[in-house]
Amino acid sequence: MDVAKELLGGNMLAGGRAIRWLDDRDPRGAEVLASVFPHTGRAHIIGITGPPGAGKSTLANAMISQLRSRGRRVGVVAIDPSSPFSGGAILGDRVRMARHTLDADVFIRSIGTRGQAGGLSRSAHDACLILDAMGFDVILVETVGVGQDEIDIVALAHTTVIVGLPGLGDEVQAIKAGLMEVGDVFVINKADREGYEATRQQFELMLHLRAEGRQDSSLHWSPPVLRAVALNDEGIAEIIDATEAHAQFLRDNGEFERLSGQRERAQTLGLMGEALLQLALEKTDPDVLAAVEAREIDPYAAARLLLRSL
Amino acid sequence: MPQGTERPLRVLLAKLGMDTHTVGITVIAHALREAGMEVIFTGLKQTPAMVATAAIQEDVDVVGVSSLSAGHTRSLPTLARLLREAGAGDKLLLVGGVIPEEDQPLLQEAGVDKIFTMGADTRDIITYLNEWRAAQQAGHS
Amino acid sequence: MKDKSSRAAMQSTRPAQQDDSIAVEAQRWQSDTRGPYVQAHPERRDEFVTQALQWSVNPLYTPADLEAVDFDYLQDLGFPGEYPYTRGTTPNGHRSDFWTMTQVTGFGKGLEWSKRARYMLDQGLSGLILEYDLATTNGYDSDDPLVEGEVGRAGMALDSLEDLEQAFDLPFDKLQYLMSVCNAPQPVNLAMIIAALEKKGVDPKDFVLHIVNGILIEYTCVGRYIYPPKDGLRLATDCIEYIIRHHPNWAPISIIAAQLQPAKANPVQEIAFSLTIACAYIDAVLERGLDIDTVAPYFHFVINVDMDFFEGICKLRAFRKCWARLMRERYGATRPEAMQIRMMTSPTTTALTLQQPLNNIGRLAIMATACALGGAGESMTTPLHDEAHSLPAEDAIRVGAALQHIVAHETGVAETIDPLAGSYYVETLTKQLETAAFAEMDTIFEMGGALKAIESGYFQRALGREQYERNRDIEQGKRKWVGVNHLQLEEEKRQIDIFRLDDSVEAEQVSKVQALRARRDQAAVDRALDEVRIAARNGDNMVPPCLQAVRAYATHGEICHAMRDVFGEHRTDSQLGGI
Repeated sequence: MDVAKELLGGNMLAGGRAIRWLDDRDPRGAEVLASVFPHTGRAHIIGITGPPGAGKSTLANAMISQLRSRGRRVGVVAIDPSSPFSGGAILGDRVRMARHTLDADVFIRSIGTRGQAGGLSRSAHDACLILDAMGFDVILVETVGVGQDEIDIVALAHTTVIVGLPGLGDEVQAIKAGLMEVGDVFVINKADREGYEATRQQFELMLHLRAEGRQDSSLHWSPPVLRAVALNDEGIAEIIDATEAHAQFLRDNGEFERLSGQRERAQTLGLMGEALLQLALEKTDPDVLAAVEAREIDPYAAARLLLRSL
Repeated sequence: MPQGTERPLRVLLAKLGMDTHTVGITVIAHALREAGMEVIFTGLKQTPAMVATAAIQEDVDVVGVSSLSAGHTRSLPTLARLLREAGAGDKLLLVGGVIPEEDQPLLQEAGVDKIFTMGADTRDIITYLNEWRAAQQAGHS
Repeated sequence: MKDKSSRAAMQSTRPAQQDDSIAVEAQRWQSDTRGPYVQAHPERRDEFVTQALQWSVNPLYTPADLEAVDFDYLQDLGFPGEYPYTRGTTPNGHRSDFWTMTQVTGFGKGLEWSKRARYMLDQGLSGLILEYDLATTNGYDSDDPLVEGEVGRAGMALDSLEDLEQAFDLPFDKLQYLMSVCNAPQPVNLAMIIAALEKKGVDPKDFVLHIVNGILIEYTCVGRYIYPPKDGLRLATDCIEYIIRHHPNWAPISIIAAQLQPAKANPVQEIAFSLTIACAYIDAVLERGLDIDTVAPYFHFVINVDMDFFEGICKLRAFRKCWARLMRERYGATRPEAMQIRMMTSPTTTALTLQQPLNNIGRLAIMATACALGGAGESMTTPLHDEAHSLPAEDAIRVGAALQHIVAHETGVAETIDPLAGSYYVETLTKQLETAAFAEMDTIFEMGGALKAIESGYFQRALGREQYERNRDIEQGKRKWVGVNHLQLEEEKRQIDIFRLDDSVEAEQVSKVQALRARRDQAAVDRALDEVRIAARNGDNMVPPCLQAVRAYATHGEICHAMRDVFGEHRTDSQLGGI
């Protein structure tokens, strides 16, 4: 099977295989990517992030339905944490999206973080490129949703959807600290629960402060705060309206391509970093490291020494 | 870097039909994760077509089906056929659960690679998977 | 949960209130007699623990242990038939009547079931349990493509009133009691049975229908749910309310702790999860304007015991007391009946092995004895020794029925009331279970009760952890299990027969339901189904519109679909959430 050619034609088996190769750092993955890269850059990448329990998978599921009803082909990259001890993972996000399994215009891929901190997998970017090349119009990336490292999603996505839920003090604090700065669309899911109104007001207030803090008004996108009950498909059309409006806004300002470009640049630098470290490790004198371990030389001096010998 | 962490074996665990007993599959999911594998769970009440599609999108190495009702004699051959037809016949197809001996030849003939009956030791399953992978890699190189 | 509170009998630090001569003597015994002996004969394991809870088991229990758990005879035990009912809910144990002896039935089509049910009544059973196939319990008709291969397999296929009319060709004079296990589509199932009894001319007053109606446990571990949890709870509440108001001699709900146990709930979780689940239903029924003294007596529990004899016995005793306390302290119940737990006990199938299946007869006898010693409850049901293989065969049914008679008539365990009371070990463990269960219940109430615990996946995650850990203990040989990790046979031959269902059952059932659809009054069916949707939307009690639809020969699947139109379907990944 010519994986590159087949996946450009939309073949799921080939698409799945290409993502696997890239995730495994199999050299064949890079070859495929080289062939399909010219066909990427079209898809609208939407990041979905928020604290655990906010209902990200359920929201993604509802968003798929809404996007499909508008004729969009949808790719999904769902990320779950890998165990730092065994490297294994239980990837269960697709369960909530099971109703789309047999839709030929939906492709759901689960990936583990495989040692990458930051709520994203090291392969999330690659998976998006492959899905983009396969011709999916919209790609939803669901993050792990822990801590404040969801900021990484911003580097990957054109549009970042932040999901919160009513009445959770601590979570709101977490959102305040990091996510409020980066979100493009804010969703309060499970809005039929107590505390919705208070949470909405908090969100609005924080967004107001964020707007005031930003003197440059070159970008006039003001993030909406939307109400949803994803389990019952409530409020989902409004969310998709907002993500589409945001994509249009980016395109109108030339931001869409700029963000895509920035992403590829960041990915390049990241890959270079990885490769350089690998290269350096291969040439590293183990005796120097042993000397550090034995506390004979300090880490800074050792690093300088090792770099010089390269 | 150890092979296990760099390229984990990917295993799809599935429940077919209306059988919703999940104790066995939960235990196995945890054990495989502890053994460094990536486990993708399909959820309950899946059809053979749904499981085949998920296996392809996820590009798993192994498809494991847990069956605790007698519906397996129909659903498993269908799943094996769908995988073959989609060009994914190379995936290892495992079944675990209540599988009477007299059903086993039928399932094996239909394309099930290995049957673990109820009470199978998870360590045996892990050993089997690791040996299968080693044989695969030896065959490819 | 695994609080390894080792309270060594010899080292009780509590100040002795009266005479501490026993504690002093016990210390002397330890240093003079036991200590040297153990030195010479090391113990056969590092740690002795109970099977499920992994609580430390002391070498010896004495009155000092009772003191350590604040045991007080009058407060903790009292007398049989009186609060707190630890020693039993009836004043005379099983000296007046034995428990009702029942067994699971229900395979194939209605006619097939009826034949087997007659066979079982002839074996001396007075009650039957009716279970349905997975198509029925998940709310589909037999001809739905989703259920291909499942029809009639795990129980009876029930598509329409027609099926039950055939199944109920039974000697209703011998049958005192029928339990129906169909949780997610409960209002539909209840309506089917009511309509079928009408057709048979059975007076509902002469007979007890017992519906399990246990949807909340389905979300917790079994998985046969259809609608979201809050709608599931509402349908269950509709059935409870309907039965209390219209058939007050029937039983509208069972909390099947016996489903939590195979999902590896430990005894503390079994008590705490099932009692808080009961509270979720009770709260909902009270909102319908009924009072606790009316409602509480309708609650019924099915409780398994596992192979750890004392964990099982003490669990049954603690269950009775926890329920009594909960009804009095949380709800202010005053009627004795409201504080007397009703329960059916059963040996668990999860103790049975696929390997060397005849060994299971021994296990069942031991567990049935534990049930009897724990008080048995109103009824006991025994699984069959070949259940681990497949659906049970007739020989196994006979042995299963005989087992209960052996325990009842031959062992003498039912000749006196609560014979193990006063055992230092039994009372210590009973009290420890009660204390731990109340602590866990407080945690659950704190998070908003059982419905919230289900919606957030708390129960599911707790069970997932137990499942993995307990399996690991067996695999690592920490717990010996004959035939599984101990005394295995090299080349094991299968020793028993398996009940097989003819594949034609499905084909016949499919053509039967399709023929019914072709000949019934479709307009009447459509109208009835619209009424079901309207009632679902309006929050009305769902039993009356379901009854109308059943009488019009709307099928089980059609009525369930009409409610799907309104409630939607429940999906969750927390089945695997024990991560």
